[in-house]
Amino acid sequence: MFGFGFLKKKRSASIAKDRLTIAIMSDRDRTNSYPFMDEMKAEIIEVVKKYVGVKNVEIKKEVDGEFEALSIDVELENKA
Amino acid sequence: MGIIIAVISGKGGVGKTTATANLGLGIALNGKKCVMVDFDIGQRNLDMILGLENRVVYDMVQVMDEEASVKQALIKSKVSENLFFLAASQTKDKSVLDSKKVEKLVTELKKDFDFVILDAPAGIESGYEHTIEFADAAIVVVNPEVSSIRDADRAIGILDSKSNKIKNGEEVKKYLIINRIIADMVQSGEMLKSEDILEILDITLLGKVPEDKGVIDASNQGKPVILDKKSIAGQAYGRISARLCGQTVDMKDIEISDSSLFKKIAGMFK
Repeated sequence: MFGFGFLKKKRSASIAKDRLTIAIMSDRDRTNSYPFMDEMKAEIIEVVKKYVGVKNVEIKKEVDGEFEALSIDVELENKA
Repeated sequence: MGIIIAVISGKGGVGKTTATANLGLGIALNGKKCVMVDFDIGQRNLDMILGLENRVVYDMVQVMDEEASVKQALIKSKVSENLFFLAASQTKDKSVLDSKKVEKLVTELKKDFDFVILDAPAGIESGYEHTIEFADAAIVVVNPEVSSIRDADRAIGILDSKSNKIKNGEEVKKYLIINRIIADMVQSGEMLKSEDILEILDITLLGKVPEDKGVIDASNQGKPVILDKKSIAGQAYGRISARLCGQTVDMKDIEISDSSLFKKIAGMFK
């Protein structure tokens, strides 16, 4: 019993490290972006282009407590 | 012109306010002028840890609303003439904070003090965001425990996206204090090692503080533990404060307990 108890103890900090590494990686992904960001960006450019020249589109995910929002900045082409 | 440091943690109960009180006092004892502001609106704690709860007349919200001047509201420490304190408001309405008012207050304090230390509320809501908004640096306090570290990472993420300095393309320095380390548990593999925590959070280590019963004894009396020369946590805060004041202090390895050190030495003769 004692022997096994010792082995089990030895492992719990490394279990913590593994669990944390995975949890934090997925937390960071969730707060920074969605996997479909690039695709969405391309589509937005296509739509806006129909009406006005687009230089760049910037999409950011913002988290404010429980509230989540996407902020989309469309930079237009310089006025000729 | 001083530096604004936000003390943050994400999770509550990890020793953030205790760290704020001890670092503030430690800095003051190193001869620097320091002011601590309790940003935990609705839950006044720092005054208790400092033993100044009976001296609070005006709070920081009254200062921000110009019902009192900074001078009127600042409470001087009983221990050091370099140390001042501004109490949290006990109003229930957390939305009283507003960016412009916070900026005005901290900028004013920055003019008169070398260090302006802001004790952030737990959580990552608006009160937290206002605490980090104008900070030049942040001290992150964690316990070697999964929920504390995960929540700290979320708080750091918000710091990295919402602080004014970051918005202006500058850097906000981040330092980690690992609090409540139990050496025996680290040695037996039951507690996360500091190097693992640093790797996970990708942050610079400021100091390690061992678990110490003296911390509760100190808060019972309203005398920060740094004043207790025998306390191992107090000594750790002394080293951290010296580092903040620009001194080079070796990182004492408190993760090796005296008993395990003895075992290692004994092992050599086997």
